[in-house]
Amino acid sequence: MSTLQVAARGAMTRSGAGRGTLGRDWQLGFVLIAPVFLVIAGLVAYPLGYSIWLSLQDVKVGAPGTFVGLNNYYKILFDSEARIHASFWASLKITVLYVGGACLGKLIIGMISALILNAEIKARHFWRSLLFLPWAIPGVVAAYTWKFIYNDVNGVANAALTNIGLIDAPILFLAKPENALWSVLVGVIWQGAPFWTMTFLAGLQSIPGELYEAAEIDGATTFKSFVHITLPSISSVIVVTVMLSTIWTTNGIEFIYTLTNGGPGGATETFPLLAIAQGLRAYDLGIGSTIPLLFFPFFAVMIYFLTRRLLNNEEA
Amino acid sequence: MASVGHLNQAPSAPRSIPVWSWLATKNRGYYIAGYAILIFLGFWTAFPVYWQLATSLRSDADLYTPVVNLIPRAWTLNHYYNVLFGARSQFGIQFVNSLIVAFWTTFIAVFFGAMAGYSLTRLRFVGRANLARVLVYSYLAPGTILFIPLYVMMNNFGLRDSLGGLVLAHLTFSVPFSTWILMGYFKTIPVELEEAALVDGASRLTALWRIVLPLAAPAVVVVSVFAFTGSWRELLYALVLTQAKEKMTAPIGLTAYVVGDTFYWGQMMAAATLLSLPPLLLYLFGQRWVIQGWTAGAVKS
Repeated sequence: MSTLQVAARGAMTRSGAGRGTLGRDWQLGFVLIAPVFLVIAGLVAYPLGYSIWLSLQDVKVGAPGTFVGLNNYYKILFDSEARIHASFWASLKITVLYVGGACLGKLIIGMISALILNAEIKARHFWRSLLFLPWAIPGVVAAYTWKFIYNDVNGVANAALTNIGLIDAPILFLAKPENALWSVLVGVIWQGAPFWTMTFLAGLQSIPGELYEAAEIDGATTFKSFVHITLPSISSVIVVTVMLSTIWTTNGIEFIYTLTNGGPGGATETFPLLAIAQGLRAYDLGIGSTIPLLFFPFFAVMIYFLTRRLLNNEEA
Repeated sequence: MASVGHLNQAPSAPRSIPVWSWLATKNRGYYIAGYAILIFLGFWTAFPVYWQLATSLRSDADLYTPVVNLIPRAWTLNHYYNVLFGARSQFGIQFVNSLIVAFWTTFIAVFFGAMAGYSLTRLRFVGRANLARVLVYSYLAPGTILFIPLYVMMNNFGLRDSLGGLVLAHLTFSVPFSTWILMGYFKTIPVELEEAALVDGASRLTALWRIVLPLAAPAVVVVSVFAFTGSWRELLYALVLTQAKEKMTAPIGLTAYVVGDTFYWGQMMAAATLLSLPPLLLYLFGQRWVIQGWTAGAVKS
């Protein structure tokens, strides 16, 4: 399904008679699209609107709500008396650290993996399957495995570090607030890097080899070729990957939920965990709905740019 | 690992060629560094998977010792037996629940997606372009914004603790994705084939079923694999919408092996291994297609 084929096809159907004859039956068009329209309207659009409506109320599980306008937003953002105010700003900081760290780690590992896999190495197919492996493992499963690796009693990480002689007492990877976020990040990066490798590798493979040959004739070093040919050629792939991964990583709860459940003492409480705690454990649906909505503008901007780009690719 | 590679190289090089001049040959440094990093990366990705498997096959006596052995000393299949057939184990039921939810999610996503994809590529009607945009918006809409309203809605409709409710929740991400990918693929299939069939008196639905769908088989496979694995590994909605043990899906079921401060690591890793099998098999057999689907959108340039 190469883009060239898509482009050629599009040009032909647009100019040819094909579209015209196939396009008259608008009633059937609506009938065929109705199920998908209902799913999106009922299960995505309506809940989104409902979430905004909930955020304007003081509403607890199992009780009728009262309309309070923007009070929830005010309470979370500005009311230093409210307990949620402090937890929200702490959570925002953790979310930014978490997403920034995850993206940086995945970028580095993904780029190095893709560059090596794109080179002429032996048993390339084997290595590619191996490096993509974490992607095929469900997030919860990987998270529990990392939890066992980090364990302070019989975890292999502590055993290995003790054997080498680096530490005397086991490190509390997950139970100590200052370690927890970084330990979670290692697992998240382990699981998420293969997606970056895949997209980068696909991007690298689309760069024409002649560019490098020309650069070599001109006496460019490998590093220079990387900076002046490779990076510019895949810059748009990098941007899209960063945006997609940011959306998915921020909203992914598998690792945090499994490894620390937001703890210890809120040290890993990114905003989805805070929303779960407020909405479903403290039964405050109003506050619980408001927290993710406060992040919505941030996602909306990325979703807007991604959609424009993805649709441009479809049409072009 | 990296240093081992070096040591092996050094003595094997003949005396007459000094190691440094061998290393100084053009690009040799990149070769050695490249393989060293590759081996390190391979170890990094493989170890947790190995450790999960090794733990699931290790007897408790070997598991709860202060000495951690990299290779299990005492092997056993007991953990698997307990997970699947243990008197109080619900994992078997939960595994089947996961299969049911993933199957229906996949079936509905492909079915609806094919219909809408056909409509969006072959028929012209008002609002067509906007609908395509809405598809991508919905695909990217984060579940964290939708889970509280969906929880309240499912509660009102009595769909909490029901597999049907979970399927509905999983449709929020699988339907837009499958529609979008199928739409992209349908565009590459020549309309002339259908025109011929339509002239011969076939109905449009026959054309979709008999001509377009078979030609789009690769895309259908990609979309199915994605809808299935997406539903199979889903945690947030399953967590929010199910409380009853016998209605949980397998990812939530893993929490059963943590009782207070006690972790039943052997059983948990056995359950985790069983849980990773379906996506792993799909990945190993359909790797090329799966990667194509996964990177679709991100790298079409």
